[in-house]
Amino acid sequence: MTQDITRRSFVKGGIGAAAATAALGGGFVSFNSWSAAQADEAAREVKKAHSLCNSCSSKCGFTATVVDGNVMTMKGDEEHPYCDGTLCARGYGYAAVAYSPDRLTHPMKRTDSGTFEAISWDDALSEISSKIRDIIDTDGPEALVLIQDPRPSGSYYTKRFMNALGSPNVYTHGVSCNMSKVSGMTQAIGAGDFNSDVENANMIMFLGRSYADGIRPASLHALQAAHENGTKVVIVDPRHNNSCVYADEWIPIKPGTDLALILAMANVLVSEGLYDQDYIANYTVGFEDWASRLPEYTPEWAEEITGIPAETITRLAHEMWEAAPASSIEQGWRAAFGCAHKNSGETARALCLFNTLLGCWGAEGGAVFYPSVSAGKLSDSRFAAPPAPSGKILGSAQYPLAAASMGVATYALEQIPEGLVKGVIFYQSNCVGGYSNPKQLDEWVRQAELSVAIDIQMTETCLACQYILPDTSYLERLEVPEFVGGKVPVVALRDRVLDKIHPETKPVDEIFCELGRACGVGQYFDFTIDELADAQLKTVGLSLEQLKKDGIVAFNEKTYKPTPKTTWKTPSEKVQFVSEACEKAGFTPSPTWVEPLVMPEDGLFRLVGGKQTIHTHTQTANIAPLMAISEKYALERPWINAAVAAELGIEDGDEVEISSDIFSGRTKIKVTERIEPTSIYLPSHYGRMVPDQHISYGIGLSQMDFVPFQIEPGYGGTMSQEVLVKIKKVGA
Amino acid sequence: MTRYGMLIDTKNCIGCYACRTACQRQNGLDADVDYIRYEERETGTFPHVGYEMVPLQCMHCEDAPCVSVCPTQASYTDENGIVRVDEEKCIGCRYCMAACPYGVRVHNKATGAVEKCKFCTAQSFEGKGETCSCVEACVTGCRIFGDLDDPDGELSRAITEKNALPITGDRTKAKIFYVR
Amino acid sequence: MTYEPIWGSIIAWYLFLAGVGAGAFATSAFLSWRHPEATSMRKIGHIIAPIAVGIGLILLMVDAEAGFTHPWRFVYLLGNFGSVMTWGVVFLSVFMVIAVAAFILDRLKKNVPTWLENVGAILALCVAVYTGALLGVCSTYPLWNNALLPILFLVSALSTGAASVLCVSIVRHADEFNMVGVLKKFHFFLPIIELLLIASLMFITQSNSDAGYQSVMNLISGQWAIWFWLGLIFIGLIGPTLLETWLLFFSSEEFEKSRLAHWISFASDAGVLVGGFLLRYLIVAAAVPLTVVTPLL
Repeated sequence: MTQDITRRSFVKGGIGAAAATAALGGGFVSFNSWSAAQADEAAREVKKAHSLCNSCSSKCGFTATVVDGNVMTMKGDEEHPYCDGTLCARGYGYAAVAYSPDRLTHPMKRTDSGTFEAISWDDALSEISSKIRDIIDTDGPEALVLIQDPRPSGSYYTKRFMNALGSPNVYTHGVSCNMSKVSGMTQAIGAGDFNSDVENANMIMFLGRSYADGIRPASLHALQAAHENGTKVVIVDPRHNNSCVYADEWIPIKPGTDLALILAMANVLVSEGLYDQDYIANYTVGFEDWASRLPEYTPEWAEEITGIPAETITRLAHEMWEAAPASSIEQGWRAAFGCAHKNSGETARALCLFNTLLGCWGAEGGAVFYPSVSAGKLSDSRFAAPPAPSGKILGSAQYPLAAASMGVATYALEQIPEGLVKGVIFYQSNCVGGYSNPKQLDEWVRQAELSVAIDIQMTETCLACQYILPDTSYLERLEVPEFVGGKVPVVALRDRVLDKIHPETKPVDEIFCELGRACGVGQYFDFTIDELADAQLKTVGLSLEQLKKDGIVAFNEKTYKPTPKTTWKTPSEKVQFVSEACEKAGFTPSPTWVEPLVMPEDGLFRLVGGKQTIHTHTQTANIAPLMAISEKYALERPWINAAVAAELGIEDGDEVEISSDIFSGRTKIKVTERIEPTSIYLPSHYGRMVPDQHISYGIGLSQMDFVPFQIEPGYGGTMSQEVLVKIKKVGA
Repeated sequence: MTRYGMLIDTKNCIGCYACRTACQRQNGLDADVDYIRYEERETGTFPHVGYEMVPLQCMHCEDAPCVSVCPTQASYTDENGIVRVDEEKCIGCRYCMAACPYGVRVHNKATGAVEKCKFCTAQSFEGKGETCSCVEACVTGCRIFGDLDDPDGELSRAITEKNALPITGDRTKAKIFYVR
Repeated sequence: MTYEPIWGSIIAWYLFLAGVGAGAFATSAFLSWRHPEATSMRKIGHIIAPIAVGIGLILLMVDAEAGFTHPWRFVYLLGNFGSVMTWGVVFLSVFMVIAVAAFILDRLKKNVPTWLENVGAILALCVAVYTGALLGVCSTYPLWNNALLPILFLVSALSTGAASVLCVSIVRHADEFNMVGVLKKFHFFLPIIELLLIASLMFITQSNSDAGYQSVMNLISGQWAIWFWLGLIFIGLIGPTLLETWLLFFSSEEFEKSRLAHWISFASDAGVLVGGFLLRYLIVAAAVPLTVVTPLL
């Protein structure tokens, strides 16, 4: 790494120390040289650029100040609907990835001995493309699969590339994130997301989701405002999560039983006639079906299952009704029913129906839908989309309720040994390490005729693949403009903040363009990212030049105005208490209780996961400033309820052994009052098994190691919390 | 005279560590060098539980034990009340670290010298260029920076309104005030 | 969060060696007062003093990393007379000058004037007390922040200093060793006083705060317990006391002057030195800081 050293920094620390600090500290520049730079800008190169954070899927916008090639300050956009002026700890820390000593710097190929050797881009592209063409020739393009964690350019280019080859099989990480939530909601309301108008609500109930842990700053600001406005905030979670700072009540619940709580609360309201009868009469179908199924779900029944006292359930239902229509159950995301349990999809469906009882759709303080803007059709023929592939995404027949925009990626990998899938490409996806059982996924990926991982650090997924292509970091590349919905929708740009650090890395757009050309579909990739971005922006009256200057532009004319929501994108164009698709998939027409796959019993605990404030799944584990926090504050330790620990003779900080049927591991434990007694919480970020991740390797345990490979019927989620574990003190 | 101080409202602190990572970026610190540390408190028994996170950093004490024990005068209080370390004078004896009641001074292995919070927010407060300090980075706006000698300033008013106190009372005349 | 000690064994060695040097010089001064005939032993004290303190100071400079790499910064050391360390620098510097002067006068076979010996002895006491006061003003550490510690370190310094002189004289000047009865009796009482001081320190510290309690528990039943009981209390204090009690009060005068008795004395004094180092090390390592964030009730 080269960088300018001023006379001042030379005098202060010596060249070696300054360079080493920059390299190992992850590209930080000292405050003294920063002050010097501000005092004497001519002496140093100081520039500003706008980008989108990459530390989680929210992609908050920020302006970076760069001093001599190092990101010095990051200022969250005031206008961005997700960050609302501030970033979270992840954002500041994750920027260190650009200068990480663990970056992938060259294309690599796995040798027969299992190690990786560097190869040239030319060789990599020609070998990969010839294998792709062979697979298409013998098995058709459907035998190709691509899995990606959606990012602006990644989403655009991966889909374009696969469709150009004729394959519909483009998957996201949805199966291990919010697939079941999105899919279940879609069955009820024809949309996978809604927004609770938290800050204007009279009452808001969260099921598992914690705005203060999986932080999206704007949501957190809304929760804080709600707390200050006197909104009643109820947090239903096996863990006393960090959002409880703003909660009026923490309702500990046995994980996997949120559906029982919703059904019982619905039963209370319906049986007492406490629901928005007008709305239900005019804008819904199938209410009678649900009403006829609910009576068996008494609060007493739910108490047995959830662990929440019956009178609390009744009271909460009444309070929600009294607060209506400025009340709702928040939509959740990953935590409780995004992909966790056998009943996750049905939980999401029931949640929407409960909110329907409240008549809160579109009401101020209720559940609302914010406007969004998207790029219009591009007139230049170079940007024309490839013809849509004829088939449907693989897995849609087996998991008919799964959102096609996400796809059941784990099912696709399961088809490798069956011979249905021959080639798999991963883009910025640690599928093997994080989606489902890593051992199983690793085994399948290794059986593929072609496996390619495109990433910036070595991951479990990279290790399983034959080829690794090095991406540039998010700070080094321009991406497709990101249109974000919100109260005021915006378009924001991930621009180049840093110059390319490693010469043999390539930004994702170039990688897919070159792959496309090598595979003989170059006609769909005959443009640069700058041209594409500019063309997209022109369709909304902007230009790349302007967005590079402004970073983010708000569509103020589209500002949200509260309006009751009465039309829905469902088959009936109404809220559907009954769903034909669900019935076909083996569920009852309207949601009823679905037993989780496993339930804790004596000596067996449910292993639950969940985000910590400083990490995003497995992606941030190898980021030095973030892992340093985990290490200092022992955040990798699983949680166990204090009373349970006392019974088991386990004390805080003891080394324990946790075992499921398929895996056993040791770690130190945190004994806390902040978790209900049938769960053990294992933060989802640790237990990384990649020796080349020098920061994260070997710290803590990985949740997914304990969980067998399994798929939620109908909806396709990975059922990440359907596993029971034993725990004992080591040596006891 | 300016007498810089800060208020930290722990009732609004969610324990997200953003102040720490922003501070490290702002000050160019190694991953394991932290000017801000945290003490976490859990109260009550399941299911009636409370949780408190207290961020701690240099309190810029008026009776600063670090300044009084420093043999070389590397630790000193500047004209605005900011306790500073002159790296050119620091021999790295760590006496200040032992004397600091708050445990918020760190030994930088690269330079051998001792470092700590520099109240860098003052730079943007004085309009001398933007920073991304703990105050500006705090997601929930727990922190207020200002001049304690300005009775009408936001800081002074908030201290009075919220009845904020230094974490150890008047032990060192600390200039960071906590709402708990 | 785990607490990492600020100082480690290097500082413990420094505190120990400064004490040994100061004690050795004080022993020489004591000898010239009560045993003027033991001239060789006096010179041994004058040799040990500058060497021990010198090594200690070098260790201190090495440990002060920024100073070690930027030695000119030590110029600033006299900057703050509010700092115990600055006073320590003054005491150590003047003491070093006197100790080296005494050493050179001895080498030149010239008399060390009594006034120089006395001034040196006073500074030796200052150095010894300083090593305790250095830690004592750190109000965050209950194990350090008390008035007993400087006294304890002073007594230990005198004890280890005398032990070092006695050890060398057993090897080099057994004849003189047999003559210095007053010194030996004086030296005999020091570990007993130390025992009382340590017991008081433990009792008082454990009662004054959680951190104090934890520090004491670290020593008497926690991770340092073996070192504390076996190393410091038994080998460093009780063992020497028992051996010397036997030699000084219960054995025949003939036996006391035998070579075997000398080696028993040597073992006893070596034990005192081991205990002296462990005392510094354990006090530095076991101290736990007070928690400033008090729980809300």
